[in-house]
Amino acid sequence: MFRNNYDNDSVTFSPQGRIFQVEYAQEAVKQGSVVVGIVSKKYAVLAALKRNAEDLSSYQKKIIPIDTHYGIALAGLASDARVLSNFMKQQSLASRLTYDRAIPLAEITARIGDRAQTNTQHYGKRPYGVGLLIAGVDANGPHLFEFQPSGVTQEMLACAIGARSQMARTYLERNLDEFEGATREELIKHALRGLKESLAQDKELTVDNTSVGVGGMDEPFKLYEGQEITNWLETTFENREGGAEGGESMEVDS
Amino acid sequence: MNHLPQAWGRPRDDVYGAYDHSYFQTSGPKQSTQQPIVTGTSVIAIKFKDGVVIATDNLASYGSLARFTDVKRLRQFNKSTILGFGGDVSDMQYLDRLLLSLAIRENYSSYSSASDDTDDTSNLESLNAKNLHTYMSKVMYRRRSDFNPLWNQILVAGFGNDEKPFLASVDLLGTTFSSPSLATGFGAHLAQPIMRKVVPDEASVANLDKETAVQTIRDCMKVLFYRDARSMDKYSIAVVTKDGIDLKEDEKLENQSWAFADRIKGYGTQVV
Amino acid sequence: MAVSCTREVLLEELREAAVDVEARVAALQVEAWTRSSLQPRGGISRELCYDLSNSVFSPDGRNFQVEYAVKAVENGGTAIGIRCKDGVVLALEKLVSSKLLKPGANKRIATIDRNMGVVSAGLLPDGRHFTSRARDEAAQWRRMYKAPIPTSSLADRMGSYIQAYTLYNSVRPFGVTCIIAGWDSEAELAVDGQVGSGPTVGAGGKVDKMKHGGPFLYMIEPSGSYWGYYGAATGKGRQSAKSELEKLNLTEGTLSLEEGVKEAARIIYIAHEDSKDKDFELEMTWVSSLDGPTKGRHEEVPKKIREEAERLAKKALEDDDEEEEAKAEGGERMEE
Repeated sequence: MFRNNYDNDSVTFSPQGRIFQVEYAQEAVKQGSVVVGIVSKKYAVLAALKRNAEDLSSYQKKIIPIDTHYGIALAGLASDARVLSNFMKQQSLASRLTYDRAIPLAEITARIGDRAQTNTQHYGKRPYGVGLLIAGVDANGPHLFEFQPSGVTQEMLACAIGARSQMARTYLERNLDEFEGATREELIKHALRGLKESLAQDKELTVDNTSVGVGGMDEPFKLYEGQEITNWLETTFENREGGAEGGESMEVDS
Repeated sequence: MNHLPQAWGRPRDDVYGAYDHSYFQTSGPKQSTQQPIVTGTSVIAIKFKDGVVIATDNLASYGSLARFTDVKRLRQFNKSTILGFGGDVSDMQYLDRLLLSLAIRENYSSYSSASDDTDDTSNLESLNAKNLHTYMSKVMYRRRSDFNPLWNQILVAGFGNDEKPFLASVDLLGTTFSSPSLATGFGAHLAQPIMRKVVPDEASVANLDKETAVQTIRDCMKVLFYRDARSMDKYSIAVVTKDGIDLKEDEKLENQSWAFADRIKGYGTQVV
Repeated sequence: MAVSCTREVLLEELREAAVDVEARVAALQVEAWTRSSLQPRGGISRELCYDLSNSVFSPDGRNFQVEYAVKAVENGGTAIGIRCKDGVVLALEKLVSSKLLKPGANKRIATIDRNMGVVSAGLLPDGRHFTSRARDEAAQWRRMYKAPIPTSSLADRMGSYIQAYTLYNSVRPFGVTCIIAGWDSEAELAVDGQVGSGPTVGAGGKVDKMKHGGPFLYMIEPSGSYWGYYGAATGKGRQSAKSELEKLNLTEGTLSLEEGVKEAARIIYIAHEDSKDKDFELEMTWVSSLDGPTKGRHEEVPKKIREEAERLAKKALEDDDEEEEAKAEGGERMEE
């Protein structure tokens, strides 16, 4: 009987130098529903697919505004994300209070990264089971960061994490060149299309299960849900039915 | 003569009276700084259309003794912020080290958030004068709330979030205020009226050029040397603009005229 | 004895096993598993006890967990440091794992205080933990001594810190090897917070004509041991990088910083040859003397200089290829 002895805790290296507990935590991210993030020269956009436990329950929150200049989208254990987001809110407020400055996104990302790292090096702790996309605008412009349970943080141009997110990433990679110069509306559409790519066959994006977060150079980060996103959903997928859909499939063929 | 070892080196009771033990109290309320010891006098500063001019003299006094004559009380922070310290010099040195550690930390994050197209990381957004003034006010207020104040009044000069010239003050209580021209200590009485003639309000800052601003400050430094007994004729002056800080730390007061001195009456031992 | 892996049996096995750690461990495991299935006994099987926990010695005196941590390092992108006569250069092969990453962002060489840099190979978050501790140490030193920490002292303190993570079973060792580069000021520095020039007569405690400062380079391993280096390399391509570093005759101390930058770029490009299929970014930083290009500070190598160094590195690689081809062709012809 084979038993992997090296995966019981996060303080044991395998002979190959891997830490299985951390790798398993990364799997928890893949259990969460998909979230997408993109930045342009002026805007940062998050889009997320919400899930509900049953028909009569509410949907799980996927995008959390943290400060007026940024927000996060989560995939994985929502309660871990709540702990991290509370920490981020505190740090952001502390920065505003002591320096009268919106905390730089690179800094807040590094702080949660460092926090996550300690959980991978001490016995009795477990890695966070959540991945985050941190998107918004600071003094140096729009940013998008990815945070992983291992404590790895990376600045991205576009990113998708969560269940079946590979499909979304493929979409993002294919359209990567268009993002930088995209308008606010275009960027939101790209995010929604990326999100749609990762959906299971029988699923649709609706006003109930979709969240969008937008931050820009001249606009505070805001979460859009429900009726507020009707227009975006309609225009995004209306166009698709027409011209874009054809173009898309041709691209796939080539 | 008492030869017991515990009496060695003690003043003799029969000559000096019994030792007053209240001088060496280990119990009772904790006492912090009650007064500044080595002090610097006025700091003065004025905004003009492209920046701020700020000056202090180079003297640190020990009471009325002119104790140190080359003390630099203008301290630079990063590329475009400068602070002028009045009050206790050792507290200023503490704050200077605090600011240095902050500057080192700022340098870390400006590099890590740099991307490939921004080659010169020094131009990246860092803490500006406004941010720094907020920080200083929190430090000072915190210390006064601990009943352990840092005995200074500080002027912060540089640029604010709106990229406009910034000038503000914070003192040992954490009190903050801002004005087109500011002065601490005696300067508040002797220099401020002169500067206010040049910039009576925020709107007039836009009409003030650098040369006039610098000349006003130099005139004020002269008036301060004439009338403030804790001042001296060597001083530092800094001009903060978008291009950086032009700091001169070894200026001398020129064209002094003490002709007015014999008309001053009513001070000290003078009787006529 | 209740424990099945007695000292003698294990020593025997270890002697027989291959020199390579991995093979040795695998052999141990197979052996142990076979035996445990043959001779079932009560309680937890304890055959593998020596490599499952940190801070435990194996019978021949090794800490397996530390050796496994080294494995994590060996998978990371190559990092090198070169100590030149007038400064130190750090270079890193940053493998690009996704097209979606922002190009040029995600800096991995960190500044410590103002005059030192750290580059690490291995687990990224562990590298950041190292950096943040090093920064704390430098700040702590400044609070204590009102002066920047010497590079040697930082290496020593960080060595102790890393070592502490091999001592307890409640933690795991660092999965990084770090290279520290620094320039200790050769000039008399003002004490932090100094406001005047002090007495103008007398020695004032200063020793005349004492030489101090200069370039320094250290590398710290997951075990906590560290050495000073003329040229250091770690990560995946360390072998080829090391052999290239050896060719530079760094012990002579004649290589200039400007040359060092070009060599560093070239070496990273050579080290990358083995993982040619993956894209990478070259990150380079340097620290020079006070009259050098960085004025004693640790900074990123300016884009222009880096791109020139990269151009030369690519050219050197192509020339090498051509030479080899020519050689091969020549050889064939001769055979003909």
